[in-house]
Amino acid sequence: MNYQECLAWIASKWTDELVVTSAGTSSEIWFEETGDTERVFYLEASMSLSSCFAAGIAFGVPNKNVWAFSGDGAFVMNAGMLTVERQMNLPNLKHFMVSNRVYGSTSNVPLPGRADNDYAAIARGFGIDRVYSFGGMNELQAKFEEAVLEPGYSFIHLEVDPLDHRGKSPPMDGPEVKFRFGRHVEKVTGKNIFSAPLP
Amino acid sequence: MEDLLQASVSSAARATETGYSEEVSREIVDICGDSGISLVASLPDDWIAQTIAGFEQDKRFTHIPVNREESALALCSGAFLSGTGAMALMGASGLMTLVYAITKINYTYEIPIFILVTQRGSLDDGAKFHVSNGLYFDDVVKSIDLPCTIIESRDQLPKIAEAYHHSRKISRPTIAVLPKKLLLGRI
Repeated sequence: MNYQECLAWIASKWTDELVVTSAGTSSEIWFEETGDTERVFYLEASMSLSSCFAAGIAFGVPNKNVWAFSGDGAFVMNAGMLTVERQMNLPNLKHFMVSNRVYGSTSNVPLPGRADNDYAAIARGFGIDRVYSFGGMNELQAKFEEAVLEPGYSFIHLEVDPLDHRGKSPPMDGPEVKFRFGRHVEKVTGKNIFSAPLP
Repeated sequence: MEDLLQASVSSAARATETGYSEEVSREIVDICGDSGISLVASLPDDWIAQTIAGFEQDKRFTHIPVNREESALALCSGAFLSGTGAMALMGASGLMTLVYAITKINYTYEIPIFILVTQRGSLDDGAKFHVSNGLYFDDVVKSIDLPCTIIESRDQLPKIAEAYHHSRKISRPTIAVLPKKLLLGRI
């Protein structure tokens, strides 16, 4: 699949889910496609932590669906994150793992195990029931509702081609990302994030 | 196979046999519960096996054993953005692995997180493989300006809640350190 086309199509299906993107490419493309600065936490330099970060959010707001994006660079660094996600089994968390077999944010440096890594098999090996693997747009579109819109934690492997260009980072410093996203969560959930009383 | 709850009971019993104080662990758990913490992500250290079991067995908490320290940090940082009080619990070696994640995530985005950590490598730690913590832990913590509170005695346990709340006030990580003698109930 073409990386940009794949994420653009998923973005077109996006309604009110909270989104966490990861280092480099997924943050850049999601921002390029949506321009959103409220409902997305752009966790750049996430180094394999975007999905656990998203799990923390999903845990606290069970009535909101949360989409987490990570890459296969993150996966090879911290495949064990799936043991945590499996254990938590949050019905409102969907983990999209975008695989292009290179470190896309560092000039497409090749990934270890790039030819052989079977991410879906690894996810199943950790006991995850709802594992989806899509290598083409037709498959993704046909199964999207089942994989993403139905309740239940799912791990969705998207096999895409490496990009030949870099996008722009969302033009916000970290605290602005935090406050914009957090204020949105406060607004849609009624939760008190920043103004909780302290002793 | 035992479920998580049963396994935690077995683990706590083993920790009691090795001399760790059930009362101190219970007090730590109660202080965390009273302070507003409801999600605990843990990594193992035999000094805190009882404390970990205490969180697992206490219905005020959701306890998540995680695969590595960075996952605990990510989980608790995300939880903050959902209005959930969270804490990471780990050994000193675990904290030593967190420099990148703390500086890149919590400092960049100014997300508070509270980490409760053992004082491995102290003079009373018999484990040679923890010597490096004794040598470098304090300097590593200082080098990243990480506010650190050592719980010197049982009457100072309420400082755990203060350190947790302080992280929220300053929108940065804070840590509290548990010495071995405290966890053995000797100070």
